[in-house]
Amino acid sequence: MEKGKISSLQMGMIMYLTIMSTAILTVPGITAKYAKQDLWLSPIWASLVGFITLIIVIRLSKNHPQQSFFQICEQTAGIYIGKLVGFIYVCFLAYVTGQIIRSYADFILTVYLPQTPISVIVISMTVLAAFTVIGGLEVIGRVSQIFFPIFFFSIFIIIILLIPKLNLSNLLPIMEDGILPSLKGAIIPQVWFGEFFLIIFLLPFLSDQSKGRKWGMITIFMVLFTFLTANLIVLFILGQNIAGSIYPFLKATRFVNLGDFIENMDPIIIALWILGSFVKITVFYYVTALGIGQWLNLTDYKPIVWPLGILIVQLSFWSLPNLMVINQHDETVSPFLGIIMQTFIPLLLLGISSFRKKVKPVKI
Amino acid sequence: MKWGIFFCVMVIIGTIILYEWKKIKTYPKRDKITFFILLIIAGALSLFDLPNLPGPVTLLETIFRPFGNFMESL
Repeated sequence: MEKGKISSLQMGMIMYLTIMSTAILTVPGITAKYAKQDLWLSPIWASLVGFITLIIVIRLSKNHPQQSFFQICEQTAGIYIGKLVGFIYVCFLAYVTGQIIRSYADFILTVYLPQTPISVIVISMTVLAAFTVIGGLEVIGRVSQIFFPIFFFSIFIIIILLIPKLNLSNLLPIMEDGILPSLKGAIIPQVWFGEFFLIIFLLPFLSDQSKGRKWGMITIFMVLFTFLTANLIVLFILGQNIAGSIYPFLKATRFVNLGDFIENMDPIIIALWILGSFVKITVFYYVTALGIGQWLNLTDYKPIVWPLGILIVQLSFWSLPNLMVINQHDETVSPFLGIIMQTFIPLLLLGISSFRKKVKPVKI
Repeated sequence: MKWGIFFCVMVIIGTIILYEWKKIKTYPKRDKITFFILLIIAGALSLFDLPNLPGPVTLLETIFRPFGNFMESL
């Protein structure tokens, strides 16, 4: 199916870009709606979900070494239920890919290309992602290896440029209404941390299996660190006005002004968003195509990449007429769907597989 | 129903079949069936006015609405 191999460092970079690219722009706004000035605490609670998911996934792949997620499903839950669970996962992945492409297109449409038809943005990104997916996992690994330093350092350069504008008193009062608002704010970011579930699809293709856990943990810490800094910077600059804007980090970047010379940094953020979203869309697209191939025991996933592309474009429009519906959908559906599909079902599978390992069937 | 979208999708499907046919010919039957089923689903979906058609998103919203309401009330 997939003959390429990636190192666990590349896996970490892929996962960092997959999670951080969309999170850094949209999540602070949604978190601030619930957590107000405690929004910087929310990623810490949310990262617990990331650690739990990672441990579940690593244990699951240790119990079933070198096997795909769909094979694990069939071995633990039986062939029929396993195939059904596999079908649900394939649909879930395709649906999530559609949602990501749509949110990317909406961002480009609102801030950068208001006159362009949305289908042009969606289709051009899908075609680009399809070429990368056909290239295979190694190509995705190298792409993220090139993009990771650009993404990471640009964000930190922008944060350094913003330091003169910070107003530290925006942080106070800490935990004004107790811990509950920050916990409520964690419900949205946990979806992003839960995306570490995708590691289960990449683990069989690692050239150094034993380091997978280590780099996974390091990636979660890096994501947590970036989340914390981004949330704090946004809070220090915008104060109580965060909840009103959809893309607070972009709004904060507009405050960069060094001696009236270095200013208008927001195109960099837009470029970073395109770059990171490209990796994210590619990874989800790849996992969906690979998932369909593994679920149906096909010889290769490459022929289905283009037909799947049309379906993904259609899924990004299905029942989603405008931005308001999408935002409402993101807040009511994705937190619960995310935690069920990315954490609870793998936990259930791990429970069954550990139980089966302990209780060996008696041979008569 | 928008005929323009339908014909565009048909042209894309035709291009994909032409482009992949040489490679797909050598694959086993199961791969060919999956390839064509995906294309048929894509073609069938292009007949509808998708943004206003109830679909998987509507289903998920019906399932998860009680949870969302519970969250709002906290």
